[in-house]
Amino acid sequence: MIGARSIAEPTIKDTVIHRMDPRAKILILISTVFVAVALDNQKTMFLLFLIVLSGFVLARMPAIKIKTLVLLLVLLIWGTIYSQALFYSQLPRTVIFTIINPDFPILGWLTGGGLFVYEEGLHHGAIQGLRSASILSLGLLMCWTTDSRDMLNGLVGLRVPYSVAFMVITAVRFLPIIITEVTTVITVQRLRGFNPKKFGSGIIKTLLNILTPTLANCVRRTGTLAVSVQSRAFRANPDRTSLKKLEFSNLDKIVVAVCVSAAIGVVIIKLVYNMYTSGIYYTSGLRPVYAIAGGYL
Amino acid sequence: MKNLAFLPFALLFLALGLIVQPAAAQPQQEDFKPEDMTTFIIQVPHGVEENGIAVGGSTLSAYLFFESYYDGNMNVTMEFGLPEGFVLHEPSVHTFSLQTEYDDWYRLVEFYIPPDTPCGTYTITSKAVIEVEGTKHTIVRTTQLKVALKEEVADEVSVSQIIIPSDEDGYGDPSHPSNTLVVQETSPALKKLLKVTDLKTEKEDLISTFMGIELTNTGNSTIPVMVTYDILDTKTGEPVKAFKPDIMGMNADTVCYATVTLSPGSNSLISLPLYISQDALGGDYLLRVKVKLTGSDWIAVTKDQKITAISRRWGPIVTTFTASLLGLTALGFFFSRPGKIMDRFKTRNLVLIALFGTVSFTVINLPMTILWELSHAIFGPFSFLFTGLFNEILLYMLIASLVVLIPKPGVISLFMMVRFLLGGFITGSFTPITFITLSVNAIMLELMLYAGGITGKNPAPDNRFRMGILCGFADMVGGYVSFSVWMVLYRLFYSDWYITANILIDGFLYTFIGTWFGISLGNRLKKVAE
Repeated sequence: MIGARSIAEPTIKDTVIHRMDPRAKILILISTVFVAVALDNQKTMFLLFLIVLSGFVLARMPAIKIKTLVLLLVLLIWGTIYSQALFYSQLPRTVIFTIINPDFPILGWLTGGGLFVYEEGLHHGAIQGLRSASILSLGLLMCWTTDSRDMLNGLVGLRVPYSVAFMVITAVRFLPIIITEVTTVITVQRLRGFNPKKFGSGIIKTLLNILTPTLANCVRRTGTLAVSVQSRAFRANPDRTSLKKLEFSNLDKIVVAVCVSAAIGVVIIKLVYNMYTSGIYYTSGLRPVYAIAGGYL
Repeated sequence: MKNLAFLPFALLFLALGLIVQPAAAQPQQEDFKPEDMTTFIIQVPHGVEENGIAVGGSTLSAYLFFESYYDGNMNVTMEFGLPEGFVLHEPSVHTFSLQTEYDDWYRLVEFYIPPDTPCGTYTITSKAVIEVEGTKHTIVRTTQLKVALKEEVADEVSVSQIIIPSDEDGYGDPSHPSNTLVVQETSPALKKLLKVTDLKTEKEDLISTFMGIELTNTGNSTIPVMVTYDILDTKTGEPVKAFKPDIMGMNADTVCYATVTLSPGSNSLISLPLYISQDALGGDYLLRVKVKLTGSDWIAVTKDQKITAISRRWGPIVTTFTASLLGLTALGFFFSRPGKIMDRFKTRNLVLIALFGTVSFTVINLPMTILWELSHAIFGPFSFLFTGLFNEILLYMLIASLVVLIPKPGVISLFMMVRFLLGGFITGSFTPITFITLSVNAIMLELMLYAGGITGKNPAPDNRFRMGILCGFADMVGGYVSFSVWMVLYRLFYSDWYITANILIDGFLYTFIGTWFGISLGNRLKKVAE
């Protein structure tokens, strides 16, 4: 059974991926996001996805994490395929199944002429799903190979204000406690006769009954925690020192440089290409760039 | 006195001159040269001076033209003679009168060549009998018309090149990708203006581009052809109506054609306009150029070329761009004065916001990591009715209760920031969609709640209705931005009805309900805090 813990908790090992500086991981993730969003060529998108997946092999992820990843990817890609099969609006498109007939009372009119499953939409969804899949996979790889404290140090290293980092640290630290509290409250609700799986009013009632005691506990805890933090000189000085200094290794520097350069290059090339296809800007000197963008990106 | 002696002689010469003048004019009529003082042209078919070509089963128009350069009246009897077997659809003899110099007459004479007409070269004759002042003159014109086999014509004519898009003269433009059409949407403002002013879309508004078609005639005959095209669905082979829309009530076929006469051994480049309606979808199409021999419905040559239509919906593109800019500006603003902003919050406030962030992550993000995809996979387009319970009702219960507890500007932004970073650290959802959506949502909520007096100097967070409406509107904007970002950055498609339903139900209704309950929850929590 895949639970919340398998999604949330990192697996600490000594691999190339684990040893990377958290700042490097954040920068790689951001670069990859830009590349994934810019790409249109399905082969290149698949290649990017494979590169991201190879990170899991390098990180020697345990089976439970791989299972979680596979489950999330299957659901993500299937969700995209399903939605695009319904909303695909390009030609040619072949109807393989009718969900709502155009003549169906009210719904036929509401959906603007029926709802169909298009064969070409399935294909488009599968390709576009790769984009989200690459981003999700890399995000999970980053989370599963980095301790949350290191990640926050990385954020502070990237000049995120310490007060914000403190809030995130607090949120992360209290996550297991609040998960336990929510689980307890759900158990109590069940014992009182609520069925959280019952669709409709059952879910709303359960949610309301979960939130009230959980948040009440949070409010009570806030005062104590605030006093405790302030007594430890929180925000007493503008700059905060850190026990653990983060340092980029040579490998980190190379990988970050490659990823950031690739991202900048891909984004610029695609931008130039889109300006060309939209008739905004063209120069014959950029023809090789147009050829690369049209053929490979 | 000496000068007066010439007077009688001068008068005599004048009188003689007056008498002789009509007599001198008389030889002009006798010198009427019909070839010099008229123009007589015969073209079979129309536009072809000589050596025309046709196939059996064609209906052709012969062009007869007669012009006078004679300053006087002339009666002309024109007789049009066709070879045996050819069928004339109107009288073969035409009589007309030309009154003065440069007066002219012309007629298109329709005739039919039966399908069983033997192949060969036929002579077509036209005789004009000109009567000037009682004298008759005859001019005869002949032209050759070759009746050929269809295969023979098809071998001689070919479409050597299709250039799409092209300029008005049919020449390719390297500044536009070849075989690609860009389907631009009319701006919503222009659409509205057209509706208000009751103006229909004019022909010029529909013109997207031109295509250049190069035709080659390798034969020895002059071939008059008509060129037209269709844009077909690659799967069904049916013409796509959106690429031949009605123009001012007329079928686009009436304007999307060109006639050209191909001289022997020549190449001709023609251009055809390509009209695209607003309803055109992007995708791959088949452009089929058809060349018909003039006068016949028989298609001598077809040439297919694959083309791609790129659909540019500027609404979502502009929305995404604006939202990204807004998000980055807000982030830049925060990073430029973090101390100033954060100092406005007590440590107690920061802890509370962080804990609310944890709760939102626990009860929304964590279950939704699986449920979001699962519900999409199961319920498809109607999954928003289910996911909205978490994403909207629950989220806005938390936001509203947090605002009740800390009614300060900036509290929602910090809450959203914690959610974003927490989601990124725990589930790796550092995605541009999350960033843009959350930042726009935060900005809209902050602005609306501040403007509505919910947060600020004299906060009034207890007004459920006002806060519900404001949050509802803010979330509707956020919802639209979210769909735009999905469409632009992730190249996904969504129907308008789906977006509308999502925005109205998830964006407004669920948000309103969540806010309504959230204020009650906040008031209860306030008592706990006190």
